[in-house]
Amino acid sequence: MNLPIRLGSFLAAALFCWGIQTWAMGSLPFNLQRLIALAGLYVVLAVSLNLINGITGQFSIGHAAFYQVGAYLAGYFSIHNFNPQGMPPWLWLILMMILGALGASLAGLVVGLPSLRLRGDYLAIVTLGFGEIIRIFVQNTKELGGSYALDKIPKIQSLWLIWGLAIVCIAVCRNLLKTAHGLSFLAVREDEVASSAMGVNVTKVKVMAFVLGSGFAGAAGALLAHWETSITPQTFSMDVSFIILTMVVLGGTGSITGSVLAALVLFYLPEYLRNVSAISGSTLVAVTLSVITAVAVMKRLVDHYHRPMKQRVIAYLATIVGSAILGVVLNIAFRGVESLAKASFTGDKLRLVIFATTLIILMLLRPQGIFAHHEFSWDWVRRLFRRPAPTPGATS
Amino acid sequence: MWAGLDWGQLPQQLIFGLGIGAIYALIALGYTMVYGVLRLINFAHGEVFMLGAYTALFTSWWFGFRPEDLLKTPQQGTILILLIMILASMVFCALIGVIIERFAYRPMRNQPRIASLITAIGVSLLLQYGGALILPNSPPPAISSKVSPFADQITLQIRPPDAALAQAAEEKKKEFEVANTAFEKQLASEKSRFDLSPAGKELRDARLEAERENKKAQDAALASGYKLIVPSGQLIMLLTTVILMTMLYFLVMKTKTGRAMRAVSHDFDSAGLMGINVNSIVTITFVIGSALAGAGAMMNATFVGTPLTTFYGVQLGVKAFVAAVLGGIGNIPGAVLGGILMGVAETLVVWAGYSQYKDAIAFLILILVLLVRPGGLLGSAKVEKV
Repeated sequence: MNLPIRLGSFLAAALFCWGIQTWAMGSLPFNLQRLIALAGLYVVLAVSLNLINGITGQFSIGHAAFYQVGAYLAGYFSIHNFNPQGMPPWLWLILMMILGALGASLAGLVVGLPSLRLRGDYLAIVTLGFGEIIRIFVQNTKELGGSYALDKIPKIQSLWLIWGLAIVCIAVCRNLLKTAHGLSFLAVREDEVASSAMGVNVTKVKVMAFVLGSGFAGAAGALLAHWETSITPQTFSMDVSFIILTMVVLGGTGSITGSVLAALVLFYLPEYLRNVSAISGSTLVAVTLSVITAVAVMKRLVDHYHRPMKQRVIAYLATIVGSAILGVVLNIAFRGVESLAKASFTGDKLRLVIFATTLIILMLLRPQGIFAHHEFSWDWVRRLFRRPAPTPGATS
Repeated sequence: MWAGLDWGQLPQQLIFGLGIGAIYALIALGYTMVYGVLRLINFAHGEVFMLGAYTALFTSWWFGFRPEDLLKTPQQGTILILLIMILASMVFCALIGVIIERFAYRPMRNQPRIASLITAIGVSLLLQYGGALILPNSPPPAISSKVSPFADQITLQIRPPDAALAQAAEEKKKEFEVANTAFEKQLASEKSRFDLSPAGKELRDARLEAERENKKAQDAALASGYKLIVPSGQLIMLLTTVILMTMLYFLVMKTKTGRAMRAVSHDFDSAGLMGINVNSIVTITFVIGSALAGAGAMMNATFVGTPLTTFYGVQLGVKAFVAAVLGGIGNIPGAVLGGILMGVAETLVVWAGYSQYKDAIAFLILILVLLVRPGGLLGSAKVEKV
C-alpha cells in the first residue's frame, strides 16, 4: 500500500469520527446517542471475537468476560482516581482504555494458556466457564458493587473515541491479515499440525489471538463503563457472549466486513423492535405460518435448484411474494377466530422471538454466514458496477 | 476456614447432593448422547427440560391440581398420577426433541459445526422467549407438594441418644411440667395476666428457669444421638434415576439399536456405509435424551419445586452440560459420574458456607479437571483435526 492511500485512510477515519461526534452529540436525543455508542462497542466486540474465533479458529464463547474485566477495572480505577482538573477527560479516557485493555489481555492470557491443551468444544466450555466465574466473582465482591451496580463512575462520553476504537480494531485485524504474522493465524485455523510443520509457532499464535482479541474487548469495556456511569454484572451475562458469537458467525466466520455488518444489524434489530406496535394473535399466527412456508420453500431452492442466477432470483422473489400473499389470506381467515383476534402481543415481548427466528432462518438458508469468508474491497465494488449482474450474497 | 464446619452434617449433605446430582446426571445424559452421535452441543436441551416441567404441570392441572380447584376440593396425589405425569412429560419432550432435530439440526448436518451451534442457540432463545408469550409465568403454586404423596421424610436413627443424657432430659421435662402446672394454677387465681402478685412472679420465674433447663437437656440428648434425614421425594428421584439409567445401559450395551448407536458415535460416515440407518439412529438418540430430560424435569418440578418460568432450564442446562464435559462428553457413564460429582460439590460448597459461589464451583472444577485431563474424567483426549 502506498503512502497517499494510507494517509487518505487516516484522514477518512478521522473525518468519520469527527463527523459522527458533531452530528450525533449535536442534534440527536440522548437515547439515540447511546444506541450509536453501544453499536460501536458491539462492532469492537464482534471484530475482536472474530480474530479469536473466525481468523484463528479458537472456539471461544466467553467474550463478555473480557468486556467485563475491562469495564470493572477501568470503572473502579476511575472512581477512585479521576481528577477533573488533572487532565482533559478524553486523555483520561484513553488511559482508562489502555488500562482496561491491559487487564483484559492478562485475562486473555490466562484463558489462552489452557487453549494450548484444549481443542474445539472443550475450549469453548472453558471460556464459557471463565466468563461465569468472573461474573459470579464480581457479584460477590462488595467493593465492586456486588450484584447491584458499580456506580458513580465519572461520566466521560465520547463517541469519537468509541468509533475510533472500532476503526482501530478493524484496521489492526485487516492489516494483520496482510502480513506474514496474520497468515500464520489463518494457517493455525486451517490445520494446526500442518502449520506447525511449516514452522508456525502455534502456541504463540493462539496466545497472541487471545491477548489481542481480549485486549480490544477490555478497551470497549472501559468505554462502556464511562459512558453508562453504572454497570452491573447482568450487563455481561452469558447471553451477551452468545450474541457476540452470533454476530461473528452470522456475518461469516473470518470475515471482518461480515462481523461489522452483523454487529450493527443484530444490535439494532432488537432495539428497533422494542417500539413496534402490538399485533393481534391472528396476525402472529398468520405471519408465523407464512414465514415457515417461505423458509421451507427457500431451503429447498437453495439446496436443489441449481439454475442460472436470473432464474434463481426470480424463484426466490416468487417464493417471498407467494408466502406474503399466503400470510395476508391467513390473516383474514384467522381474524374470524375469536380468541386469536383478541390476544395481543407487544413488540417488546416479541422482539427476542423475532431475533431468535431471524437467527435460525439465516443459519438454515446461509450457513456460511452472510459474507462467508469474503471481505469488502473497492475492487469488488468496481466489479459490481462494471458488470451489473449478480448480487454478491447469492453466489453459492 | 474449616473450623466452623459441622462435620457431623457431612453425610446428610452428601445425601442431598446425590439427589441434585441425579437430576444433573439425567440432563447431562441428553447432552452427552447427542454430542456422541452428532458432535453437536445441543444448547436447546435445557429448554426441552423446561417444556417437560410445564408438561408435568399441565398434566397435574388436568388431574384437578389447579390451585383454584384445590381450594374447592382438596385432594391428595397418588403414585398413579405421578406415573402419568412423568410419562406425559417424557413423551412430550421426546416429541419436541425429534422436531428440533428434524427441522433445525438435520438441515445443518453437512455445514460447519459452529453454524449448527448458532442454530442451537437460536432454537434455545426461541423456546425461551416464544414460550414466555403463551406459557404461564411461575404459576402458583409451582407443581406443589400437593401432587406428591411423598411429602414426608424418612428419618434414619443411626446412633440412639446417650442413655444418661436421655434420662436427664426426661427428668428435666417432668420438672418443667410440674413448674408449668403450678404456674397455670396460680394464673387462674390472679386478677390479670400482666400484673402478677409476688407469689405469681416467683412461680413464673421458676417456670422460665425449668423451661430453659429442659431445652438445654433436650438439645444435649439430641446431639449425642445421630440421625440422617432422607426426604421421600429425593429417595423416589434417586430410585427413578437408577431405574432409568439401568434401562439406558441395557439399551445401549445389549440391543441392536444400542450397538448401532455406538457405531454411529464411533464413526458417523462409516456407520452409514455399513448399512446403519444413520438418520433413524439420530432420531432415537434425540428421543432417549429428551425423554430422560423430561423425566428429570417432572421430578425436579414435583419434588424440588422451583418457581416455573420459561428460563427454568437455562441454569440447570448449563450446569448439566458442564457435568457432561466433566465426565468426558460423549461418554455415558461419564455423564452420570459428572452429574453426581457436580451435585455433591454444589451442596458441599453451600455446607461450607460459600453458597454465593454455588454456581461458580461447577466451572472451577471443570477447568481444573480439564487442565489435568483434557478429555474429561472418563473421556479419552483425541487430537481433533480442525
